[in-house]
Amino acid sequence: MTQEVATPELADSEPADNELQAQRAALKSEYKELAWQGLWKNNPGLVQLLGLCPLLAVTATVTNALGLGLATLLVLIGSNATVSLIRHWVPKEIRIPIFVLIIAAFVTCVQLLMNAFTYGLYQALGIFLPLIVTNCAIIGRAEAYASKNPLAQASFDGLMMGIGFMLILVVLGAIREVLGQGTLFDGIELLLGDWASGLRIQVLNLDNQFLLAILPPGAFIAMGFLIAIKNAIDSKIAERQPKPEEKAIERVRVNFDAS
Amino acid sequence: MRKAIEKNARILALFAIACTATVGLVNELTKGKIARQEQAQLLKTLHDIIDPEIVNNDLYQSCLLVTDELLGNNEPHTVYLAKHDEKPVAAAITTTAPDGYSGNIELIVALNYDGTVSGVRTLKHQETPGLGDKVEIKKSDWITSFTDKLVTADNQHQWAVSKDGGMFDQFTGATITPRAVVKAVKNTALYFQQHKAELFSRTDSCRENL
Amino acid sequence: MAFWIASSPHNHTQNQTSKLMRLVIYATIPGIFAQWYFFGWGNLIHIGLAVATALVAEFFVLSLREQPISKQLFDGSAILTAVLLGICLPALAPWWITVLGSLFAIAIVKQLYGGLGHNPFNPAMAAYVMLLVSFPVQMTSWQPPLSLMSVELDFLNTLTTILTGFTSEGYSVEQLRTHIDGYTMATPLDSLKNDIGQGLTVAESITKPVFGQHFSLGWEWVNAGFLLGGLFLLARKAIPLATPLSFLASILVCSFIAYSINPDGNASTMFHWLSGATMLGAFFILTDPVSGATSTKGRIVFGALAGFLVFIIRKFGGYPDAVAFAVLLCNMAAPLIDQYTRPRTYGHSVKQP
Repeated sequence: MTQEVATPELADSEPADNELQAQRAALKSEYKELAWQGLWKNNPGLVQLLGLCPLLAVTATVTNALGLGLATLLVLIGSNATVSLIRHWVPKEIRIPIFVLIIAAFVTCVQLLMNAFTYGLYQALGIFLPLIVTNCAIIGRAEAYASKNPLAQASFDGLMMGIGFMLILVVLGAIREVLGQGTLFDGIELLLGDWASGLRIQVLNLDNQFLLAILPPGAFIAMGFLIAIKNAIDSKIAERQPKPEEKAIERVRVNFDAS
Repeated sequence: MRKAIEKNARILALFAIACTATVGLVNELTKGKIARQEQAQLLKTLHDIIDPEIVNNDLYQSCLLVTDELLGNNEPHTVYLAKHDEKPVAAAITTTAPDGYSGNIELIVALNYDGTVSGVRTLKHQETPGLGDKVEIKKSDWITSFTDKLVTADNQHQWAVSKDGGMFDQFTGATITPRAVVKAVKNTALYFQQHKAELFSRTDSCRENL
Repeated sequence: MAFWIASSPHNHTQNQTSKLMRLVIYATIPGIFAQWYFFGWGNLIHIGLAVATALVAEFFVLSLREQPISKQLFDGSAILTAVLLGICLPALAPWWITVLGSLFAIAIVKQLYGGLGHNPFNPAMAAYVMLLVSFPVQMTSWQPPLSLMSVELDFLNTLTTILTGFTSEGYSVEQLRTHIDGYTMATPLDSLKNDIGQGLTVAESITKPVFGQHFSLGWEWVNAGFLLGGLFLLARKAIPLATPLSFLASILVCSFIAYSINPDGNASTMFHWLSGATMLGAFFILTDPVSGATSTKGRIVFGALAGFLVFIIRKFGGYPDAVAFAVLLCNMAAPLIDQYTRPRTYGHSVKQP
């Protein structure tokens, strides 16, 4: 990733039109790359396997997953933006404690807000809401990206990583909720207000709850399958794409054999 | 070196102050709302087990702390007193069933002034998922089988699960959990019958800022 | 079967695997016979169902993984897993319990990890735990011994109960489990736990009919059957002595200590040995060469840990029997045990660099 091109300071120096366009193109490809990294290639849930503890513990229903996903998303955007804003004033030696302070402050604020406005969900998420502090995806992004990049990109990165994480949470929650109790969006009114109670869908009518899906081991198994599916898709893509490259490799191999 | 440390300390302190201020501000803004939410939640539980039509006092404020062997252990338990025009109507008592299959089961038992059970709910438990957790209203309506039952001197032996010859069904696969709950509800009802006059004459409250 | 000589190092050939597996399957016969005698046809039907499902599942997964099918399909390991699972299930559990369990054992616990020799957990026990955790009501509806039942259970009746939940006369499983005196009968292990929870002493509790004349009616003979099968395996050197010996000794020590401290609240060693799945676990499950420890010292630690866990879980756990949970926990610990009990390589000094 080339960041120098994208810094706003450069934009002030009245560049030529084509230069401006080149900058815009670079910025656009940077955003695209960020989205691709956050949503798929470097997904915090599926690839980095960060924040597994809340990921596995609260995804018994879509509602819980969505609640925790949104909370994490808010914290990620907030902390990434703040870290990016202050990146010039923080000496290197004390950046980690400051990042932790910022993240903790955001988590506490989100926790208080959820307590006030989505009380039922706050009760359901319990300890895992304050535990967002320990979600390594957040400090990881602050350290690896936000502390080196301007505000807009850093916030966008937070948004994409957060959505990537939330998507995995919701997919896992949906799988476990359908298998475990045969519903989708059960209890969604806790998050979105009373109007949303109509969203609840009865997918299957189960005589017996499949408890394994709701209990933590089910989360591990479902997560394993999700990762396997992602890897399978990736290898399918890789199989299809680099045909021209393969020839080049072959030639190298021939040379190697000959030498 | 020393200078760098001083500078860093100052920056760190500045951030700490800023973060604390932010959290404090949000706390201040949400404090009232959170308190109202908690109160609403509690009232919702209470209204589930005490008919709100017959009560017109502030249930949230009229509460007592009591301690008695019959309530499962020697911890203080909360009692909410329901009155209609200052006349006692019912009370909701939090109680503990100490002999659940895995640990204590926390219950809230509402009793009409005549001693009949008006409703029971499970507040907290760690029973086996799929077996003992049917004491939750979300999982099964078993807990409503207490409604309108009365403990008298000569039906005490009926206050048991049917396996022990009583009038309450145990649910499939679990006996210990319902047994513990039945016993706790019965003891709470007995406690209420013995102490109801005294409870309603008390003037103290569990809320400090009345 | 083709006979082929592998170049060194000499791995176990397929030939030996299937021979060993067949031997172990034969050794379960006395125990299964005792089960049939005391509890009726239920477990035999479950074993049949489980074996059929396991073979189908194995076939599908092997063809998905593009592995040689005929060789691995009949190496006996899938059949053994299914037999062990069928033995463990409650005799009157519904048919889909067996099918689900068998699928889980073969497709997920065994094949997803890479097939025979690569599974970290014992497939039969992992499937049993999955079923117990997911469907606790069905998995704890144990059928009492035939002699205590008020309804005659023949083969046809058992079959219809497993398939539909009712006998041909319309009795439900719950009614079948009800004693003539009107209470639901639990397993001896469960009854004892209930009674001690109620404040009864062990001596008072074991006067109940489920305990029979000795320790536990029916169950003691099933355990004796598996003990016999286990001794046969030991005699044929099919399983190592260290694991079952240290497992049983560990249970003996734990229960003896508990019993001598508080004889009213703790069952005797013989009760622990001869109820639940103790003997099956000792000789047929803990000795699984794949998921257990490898060296003799390791096996002793492995068995002792399992015995200790069985005792602890039986005493304090939330589920009735403990062998399956103990086995899974020990499977997890096996690599660690191996790490610390690695035998000294000949010619190397004792201290590893």
